[in-house]
Amino acid sequence: MTTDQKDFHKQFEEWKALTEKLLTKFPEKKEEFVTSSGIEIERLAHPNVLDESYMKKLGFPGQYPYTRGIQPTMYRGRTWTMRQYAGFGSAEETNRRFRYLLDQGQTGLSVAFDLPTQIGYDSDDMMAKGEVGKVGVAIDSLYDMEALLKDIPLDKVSTSMTINAPAAVLLAMYIAVAEKQGVSQSEISGTIQNDILKEYIARGTYIFPPKPSMRLITDIFAYCAEHVPRWNTISISGYHIREAGSTASQELAFTIANGIAYVDAAIEAGLAVDDFAPRLAFFFNGHNQFLEEVAKFRAARRIWSKIMKERYGAKKAKSLQLRFHTQVAGSTLTAQQPDNNIVRVTIQALAAVLGGTQSLHTNAKDEALALPTEDSARIALRTQQIIANESGVTDTVDPLGGSYYIEKLTDELEEYVFNYIEKIDDMGGAVSAVEQGYMQREIHQAAYDTQKKIESGEEIVVGMNKYTLEDEPKPELHRIDPELQRKQIEKLQALRTERDSSRVSARLEELRQGAQGDANLMPLILECVRGYCTVGEICGVLREEFGEYTGV
Amino acid sequence: MKKIRVLIAKPGLDGHDRGALVVAQALRDYGMEVIYTGLRQTPQQIVAAAIQEDVDAIGLSCLSGAHNELFPEIVSMLKAREAEDIIVVGGGVIPWEDIPFLESKGVQKVFTPGTPTKETAIFIEKAVRERDGVSEEVLTPPKKIDHIGIAVSSLEQALPFYVDSLHLQLEAIEEVASEKVKVAFLKIGESRIELLEPINEESPIASFIEKRGEGIHHIALSSDNIEDRLQELSARGIKLIHDKPVKGAGGANIAFLHPKSAGGVLYELCEKDTKEAE
Repeated sequence: MTTDQKDFHKQFEEWKALTEKLLTKFPEKKEEFVTSSGIEIERLAHPNVLDESYMKKLGFPGQYPYTRGIQPTMYRGRTWTMRQYAGFGSAEETNRRFRYLLDQGQTGLSVAFDLPTQIGYDSDDMMAKGEVGKVGVAIDSLYDMEALLKDIPLDKVSTSMTINAPAAVLLAMYIAVAEKQGVSQSEISGTIQNDILKEYIARGTYIFPPKPSMRLITDIFAYCAEHVPRWNTISISGYHIREAGSTASQELAFTIANGIAYVDAAIEAGLAVDDFAPRLAFFFNGHNQFLEEVAKFRAARRIWSKIMKERYGAKKAKSLQLRFHTQVAGSTLTAQQPDNNIVRVTIQALAAVLGGTQSLHTNAKDEALALPTEDSARIALRTQQIIANESGVTDTVDPLGGSYYIEKLTDELEEYVFNYIEKIDDMGGAVSAVEQGYMQREIHQAAYDTQKKIESGEEIVVGMNKYTLEDEPKPELHRIDPELQRKQIEKLQALRTERDSSRVSARLEELRQGAQGDANLMPLILECVRGYCTVGEICGVLREEFGEYTGV
Repeated sequence: MKKIRVLIAKPGLDGHDRGALVVAQALRDYGMEVIYTGLRQTPQQIVAAAIQEDVDAIGLSCLSGAHNELFPEIVSMLKAREAEDIIVVGGGVIPWEDIPFLESKGVQKVFTPGTPTKETAIFIEKAVRERDGVSEEVLTPPKKIDHIGIAVSSLEQALPFYVDSLHLQLEAIEEVASEKVKVAFLKIGESRIELLEPINEESPIASFIEKRGEGIHHIALSSDNIEDRLQELSARGIKLIHDKPVKGAGGANIAFLHPKSAGGVLYELCEKDTKEAE
């Protein structure tokens, strides 16, 4: 045995010990895993001879560089979190859908907010016309948040909130509701998306210019590191970059470049890397090219752990682990023959599972037409449950690891990403690349190329440019109550007359002072929220102080 | 001819602009001048931009579900500012059941997901030309079924059934050298049945019969402006057998479309030089 191999053997023994230790605390779902033929399923298949290439590139799950997964037992221990993004109309309606989904076996909540909430406008703002309650739930004040989370035990359920520019406000509301339930902020768990850079790049729900936006983000990092330790303070998102038309390698590269920018900003704000890095989470797209997607997720883990270790000298294992949520690709769904979308979703979701995702949202078949109906939302959830319980792919860790093709793709994606990162570093980092419109242009070019390929028939979209039907049946769609905006405005205006208005203006004034200086804004926003200041009022003060971003 | 100017606009708060950007670029590639407003435009801003930029058309994109409120507002503001000659079209995630409502409010066309960008370009071009009274370029629907072509191995064997049993009237028999066929026309109402017999082995009819046996071969639509039509069809991505008309029976200008683009049916466009006696 060479010295190298002795080291590798030691690492292997360490991994086995780590696994055993984990098993005593978190046993696997079954004592023994066997195939239909009675073949015992190993926890992890790996080469008999541990050579340098294997150990450097793959290693063992739960060990650097985490290519094969972030935990030693992965889904044998615990299935990923099935987290369906939902929200529409009023807080009361969405609360009913949440409780329905929890009853159906969903294990975490994911809140979709309407666009006025996401862009910091109240429902009665002129800019909100036509948008109230459309793509998510309308939240104007703590009052709505209380209704949204009514009878949901916030010490037990983890909640993901797709909120970016006003993330601090909605997190503060969540904390305030938990307090009213008697749950302290140190007990709650969940995620805010809080990833503003991809809003400039691809998603469009920005409010403030990059600099003050980065400040709000690092204020949240600092506040949560101290007070809300179980909260994921950011979900660095490639999802929307991919939806906007990027390739898989661009999705990975731009997301990781953004991640680097957040780490830099937090370090610059005086935080220690191992204090906030464990709470960074990622969010990727589960797209069509099945094998490339599996490789993408594996490459993401390896790249991030290398960056955290080599570029930032992070020490804690949790700082090196890339944890991610996956949503399957909405842009691949067709309005034509919508039932076909169930099949697309299944394949995309399977790629996410084989890539080792921590949580998953499967799209409903009718999302190219409207918001999901209750039926289609249920089928989407069942798709995950079938993969988890019937397919058997969860019985062994990283089942595709070691495939010549998958490993080659994983290596090549990593190379692509490091090349892009070098380029973005040369431009002065992701914030500066965004300001120059670099990523936006790259994505648009890729999107246009895809469109041309679809129109020429070079890329086949089943049911759309091939295998089409003459007469498409018209499916039943989910409708939003057209009266909703009026009702929401009535509620809001009642609140404005009932609340203590001197308290409101005092809190808003304190926030303004804080924004002018360099105080952490999170406690000030929490006070505003407790005093029933609205999302629009809080963001309005910050707009006045920070200015607004208007695109490149 | 003056270049068509189009404003691509994102009304409301929706930030999804992949579609808007792709359509903007496709219209540019088609030869139009395109202005993109950027995100989060109010109806007022969009109408003001359209008037100031003197555009021929506005393309609205909305994926957030606010279309029913925002699209009609834009149309009525255009009217209020006496700019209703600006053509308004829309797209995005728009449920089929909302389309009649939007059209009744003056949105000229709603393009649903999956629409080829060329179709959008052609629609805008036609609508603008029509509005400007350049109407001779506008294509009217084909007038009638000129004839149905039936492949037969031998006219001599086939004709007695048509003439004696069906009592159809035989009009003429002629050879069409370009297609290597001998044809017989039988009049029926304002249309005809055309029996096609291959002249030799190389005739397309010979290979048709070899592959599929005798039977219905093609449907011919009597149409005008064949050349323009072919150009339009090709722009829509429809495969053609002839991209320029050729001479067919009776001296007509004819062209065949590829059955791959027509659900397996072979169509002929057929234009007669002189008005035939009815």
